[in-house]
Amino acid sequence: MADILIVEDDKDLNAAYKVILENEKHRVKTVYNGEEALKLLKTYQPDLILLDLLMPIMGGLELLEKYNLKSHPKVKVLIFTNMENSPEVTKAYNLGATRCIIKSWTAPQNLAKVVKDTLNNKVLSRT
Amino acid sequence: MARKTRKEYEGQSALNNIMFNSIGDGAVVTDEYGRITAINQSARKLIGVTDKEAIGAWFPKLIRAYDDLGRPVPLIERPITKAFVSKQVVTARSHYKAKDGTMVPISTTASPIIVNGQPIGSIEIIRDITQEYEIDEMKSNFISLASHQLRTPLSSVKTYSHMLLDGFMGPLTKPQIKALKTIISASNRMNETISTLLNITRIESGSIVVAKKPISISQIIEEVISEHQLAAADKSIVCKAKCPDRSVKVISDSVILKEVLGNLISNAIKYTPPSGTIRVSVSLKNTRTVTIKISDTGMGIPKNSHNDVFSKFFRAENVVKQETSGIGLGLYMVKGLVKELGGDVWFESKEGQGSDFYVSLPLDNKNASKNKLVRK
Repeated sequence: MADILIVEDDKDLNAAYKVILENEKHRVKTVYNGEEALKLLKTYQPDLILLDLLMPIMGGLELLEKYNLKSHPKVKVLIFTNMENSPEVTKAYNLGATRCIIKSWTAPQNLAKVVKDTLNNKVLSRT
Repeated sequence: MARKTRKEYEGQSALNNIMFNSIGDGAVVTDEYGRITAINQSARKLIGVTDKEAIGAWFPKLIRAYDDLGRPVPLIERPITKAFVSKQVVTARSHYKAKDGTMVPISTTASPIIVNGQPIGSIEIIRDITQEYEIDEMKSNFISLASHQLRTPLSSVKTYSHMLLDGFMGPLTKPQIKALKTIISASNRMNETISTLLNITRIESGSIVVAKKPISISQIIEEVISEHQLAAADKSIVCKAKCPDRSVKVISDSVILKEVLGNLISNAIKYTPPSGTIRVSVSLKNTRTVTIKISDTGMGIPKNSHNDVFSKFFRAENVVKQETSGIGLGLYMVKGLVKELGGDVWFESKEGQGSDFYVSLPLDNKNASKNKLVRK
């Protein structure tokens, strides 16, 4: 069981990911853009952030720049986007994102599995 | 026939000169050593040089060529060199650097000047393709944007269909399950088409971004097979994988590699009759390369099509007869993506006896000692 923050502007997808991850017994919080996430992250440290890149008000890259993952080494970031092989994804990796997966390719059971794998890697990297 | 007078010759020469300078595209003539012997007005304007500066200058030094990424084109790759060496007409696209430093996208056609079977020089026709280049860029940006916008609603369709199928919203009847599987299958096909178009646009424009790092080959294969399990089960096709443990790693881009393997597995499912078998295996022949083999028991590829399999828009005759969907871009994309990953892709196939597709990739040498297969 882990604390997961979903940052996704599409309300339908945001709600769907919450149901899928809660079904895996994770504790899930949801916000709809980077600005809301940044505000919440001042008082809350999740184990994993499921992050979209293209969002209104503040996108995923700006959030990564402002949140500064180097000062939060325990937080894993899973980029969930439809912009594969793009400069944005490379930039996200450079800003400390752990992994990137493609939304339209990923079925719910795979999302749950990728989240689990990413969290397991986190345990490995701590030891 | 009466001999021409000196005056007539001079008149002819002046006329030729006027015609040469009136050509709308740039034209540069060189001798056998690559020194410029004539350059017309359009070429002088394009490069920003005077006749005096150009005549006698070494063509490759005066007119420098660069590729799309701004790297100098090696002398041996310049059309003017290739035309001279091969005695053939050679065309290419590159960028020429004008005297003021601006890069001009150009299309060149270099032809050897042959006398008594021997090349004595060459002529290069240079066309400014700035406008075409800008249109290409706009097309590329449009496809990227359109692809992203198409995928956003598709993500919702796919996620909610899977949630329904997985019982998140309660139990379903058999006809409801069948209908959902049809929706998922159609959304997967649309997704594949969008991905293919997007990738080809990026490969062809040189804008694809490859983020290589050590990745577990088994993990990638497991994920790709899992994503295609539903489509395989629909045709009662068994998908078997024989993978090394997760410590065997390749240096690659996981997203691109998943697209490559996904495309090959999707093809194997598409072209294998119901109740067939697809096998995915991994082998290491040395400490540098890993080879992934995807075998199917499908319709195979006719021998007369073997040379064209990785060509753009190519679809084999036996495929067109049996399977109407598809645009013939998948394997063209696979070839391009594997090249970006620093690997290779090839196949062995006999019509009616299935196909074996192979993808070789660079192994993560730093982790080679952990690699159990290397020792075998």
